[in-house]
Amino acid sequence: MPDPKRNRNRLLTLAGLGVVVLLLYLIDNSGSSKLVQAFALFSIWGIAAVSLNLVNGVTGILSLGQHGFMLIGGYVTALLILPVQSRIRIIESGRSSMTEETLSISIANFFSAIGLESLAAPEYLWLQFIVALFIGGLAASFFGLLVGIPSLRLRGDYLAIVTLGFGEIIRLLAATSMFSPYTNGALGFAGVPAEFGKSVWWTTAILGITVFVMARLKYSSYGRALQGIREDEIAAAAMGVNLAYSKILAFVLTAFFAGVAGGLWVSWIGTARVDQFLFTLMFFLLVAVSVGGTGSITGVLMGTAIVVFIRQYGDPLEQTYALTDWLRAGGLIVLAGGFGAFIYRAARRLRPRLNAMVWVPLGLGTLAFAAALVAPGQGWLEGSFRGFGLRAILLSVLLVVIMVFRPEGVFGRSEFSWAAVFRERRDRPSDEERGQDAWLSNPDLADRLARQEKREGDE
Amino acid sequence: MVAAILLLIGLRIHYLVNVAEVRSYASFVGAFFSSLQLGSLYALIALGYTMVYGIIRLINFAHGEVFMVGAFVSYFLFSNTPYTVPGAILGAAFVSFGVMFLATLWRGHRLGHPLILAVGAVSLVAFTFVLSTASLGWIMAMILSMLTTGVVGVAIDRIAYRPLRGAPRLSLLITAIAVSIFLQNFGLLTFSQRQTPFRPETMWTDPFSFDVLGQAVFTTNLIILTPLLLVVLVTGLHLFVTRTRIGRAMRATSQDPETAEMMGVNVNRVIATVFFLGAMLAAAAGVLWGLNFGSLNQPAVFGLLPGIKAFSAAVIGGIGSLPGAVLGGLILGFLENFLTALFPRTPDFAGITEYKDTFAFIALILILLVKPSGLVGEDLSEKV
Repeated sequence: MPDPKRNRNRLLTLAGLGVVVLLLYLIDNSGSSKLVQAFALFSIWGIAAVSLNLVNGVTGILSLGQHGFMLIGGYVTALLILPVQSRIRIIESGRSSMTEETLSISIANFFSAIGLESLAAPEYLWLQFIVALFIGGLAASFFGLLVGIPSLRLRGDYLAIVTLGFGEIIRLLAATSMFSPYTNGALGFAGVPAEFGKSVWWTTAILGITVFVMARLKYSSYGRALQGIREDEIAAAAMGVNLAYSKILAFVLTAFFAGVAGGLWVSWIGTARVDQFLFTLMFFLLVAVSVGGTGSITGVLMGTAIVVFIRQYGDPLEQTYALTDWLRAGGLIVLAGGFGAFIYRAARRLRPRLNAMVWVPLGLGTLAFAAALVAPGQGWLEGSFRGFGLRAILLSVLLVVIMVFRPEGVFGRSEFSWAAVFRERRDRPSDEERGQDAWLSNPDLADRLARQEKREGDE
Repeated sequence: MVAAILLLIGLRIHYLVNVAEVRSYASFVGAFFSSLQLGSLYALIALGYTMVYGIIRLINFAHGEVFMVGAFVSYFLFSNTPYTVPGAILGAAFVSFGVMFLATLWRGHRLGHPLILAVGAVSLVAFTFVLSTASLGWIMAMILSMLTTGVVGVAIDRIAYRPLRGAPRLSLLITAIAVSIFLQNFGLLTFSQRQTPFRPETMWTDPFSFDVLGQAVFTTNLIILTPLLLVVLVTGLHLFVTRTRIGRAMRATSQDPETAEMMGVNVNRVIATVFFLGAMLAAAAGVLWGLNFGSLNQPAVFGLLPGIKAFSAAVIGGIGSLPGAVLGGLILGFLENFLTALFPRTPDFAGITEYKDTFAFIALILILLVKPSGLVGEDLSEKV
């Protein structure tokens, strides 16, 4: 049955896209490079997080190796589009471990070799970049295939650690002499063209493609097979889902988009170095996926927005302030936590209402706040303190809180839809559907209908 | 199998010494002892992983960071004491909480029991006095750091893991990762942001050399101390697990938590105990690590790699099994140090030293694919 509101929804979607384009235009012309960078970073990490969601959320396998895939995509893209001047600089620096031969690998040379001289020109860098991103994604998806193989034998936390192991192996190997002719060892590449990764248009377009592919996939028969694996692997296999094929498919697709994200991330920074792909990056993606909602693309995008906002605009947290200011702020936060715990316990009717989780923070917070008030007069606690690493602390606390109070994430598994915006309920049948179904149309069979009719009769 | 591996190693040593003539027997004796040291450290960390996994089936991702906290706490204890009075009270509060916790293990009293409170009060006064007057030696620093870190372990369990009892295991693992990142950055915030020299005044780091077939092996006294401490701590742990009431409760809980609870075991208490003991061992490993390498890396990376490697060691030995963790740790130490000594850098071969960080992961992946129960462990895989 066609959705009666389909035309309205299509119009709204088109209007929404128009608003997004307008917004991007305004951001692009706002003159604030920080804002542009934040939106570009949102799109880049969004690509990585939305694709990670296919494995972590839809298939229910915790994969911790996304940074390894991003590294492969990033290095391949960087090597393929590195401008000639940067290559010359690498050779002249004298410290590089790259040879003339490995340095000549590029899309431009490839185009020249197959007779497309005109496309090898720097004006066509955008085309070269697209091809390089695609190749980077393919290279990453090959490793996705490798990482997917253990998923056939292992489950749960063991598999998570193995994917982490693969990610770390990739990172550790990239700097060794085995691969340093291609990666330039720990030095990496400098001078990667930044006009793509820092452009909101490029990154948002690719994010749009990723979201489109992932959303279509989620509701395809493949996506339903993956969700079946998440709910119950054995039952899914009994229903005819090919476990090996489905899991490896999920890993390969995830790795492809992670590779693309890696290519853009390298371009965003302008360099390709091993320490851009530490486990911290994986942690950011994990926060994005877990906070927003594991399995929900909408939720993952929201989670990414939170992470990127804290990373880009949280730097006031990491400045130097007076010790008493820190103490006062910390005391207030701990006090708020204690009150929050009290409200939570009261709402849940937990006994005793004032347990250690309530009075310890309340006491400590009061103590700290009082000390901060008294200290300046007494000459105590002079000096200042730099909040180094507070952004990551904030994110980790956020993740713990989400895991404790709402493990499925803010959005759970639900997605954005216009029906949800207008509070239409899909589970309530229309009159037409009622007419077709004896259980729904016959008050003798459905209690709820009987009650409803009685109520309407009373009125 | 073991004999075949030993034979291969022997042949390789024979080749390197007598045929290729690039190494001497003495260098392999030196490599043996350094592998033993590294392996002992991994074993001490791995014990914490294996105990926690054995009881609540959680890969305690934050254990590597607990190890980091232990090392830094001991550093601040021997390098900064005596403290001013407020600092000494704060430190003594942590330590005496650890003492109280330790005291509850003896006869199974509650933390609020008058006897335990009295012990806490006495140790609070005593340690405040000690910390504000004396300058501590490294052994005292290690013991106090073990107590403090034990409290940190219990706090992690109480705040982050206990609300999630019964939640899906993957949520628990994600929480553990979050705690790990939290501790890394907390270390950056409060401990140090760069490499920290770790040089307490002790005879154990003095050089020590002996002759093997006319050639000198240069090491430090640590080749005696590290395995010795491993043996002492593991023996203590073994006695605790086999001879005490709460040790018996631990074994029962690891076999079947629900039945154990029905039989009157306080499972939350057992779990807290496991975190306490694991963190204590990790702190000891942290101090030994500092002595061994002479410096502590910056907190964000110090615990991560040793932590994951020690987890690999626990899996190699068989997760959930205490002897397995020790065995796995030693094997991993030998894999990292002795294997690289067997394939040294020669003019026509670059050596495998730069790959040694990946050995733990490769071993982990291989053992999980081939024999997930580890070398001596029982099968903990999920059943339908």
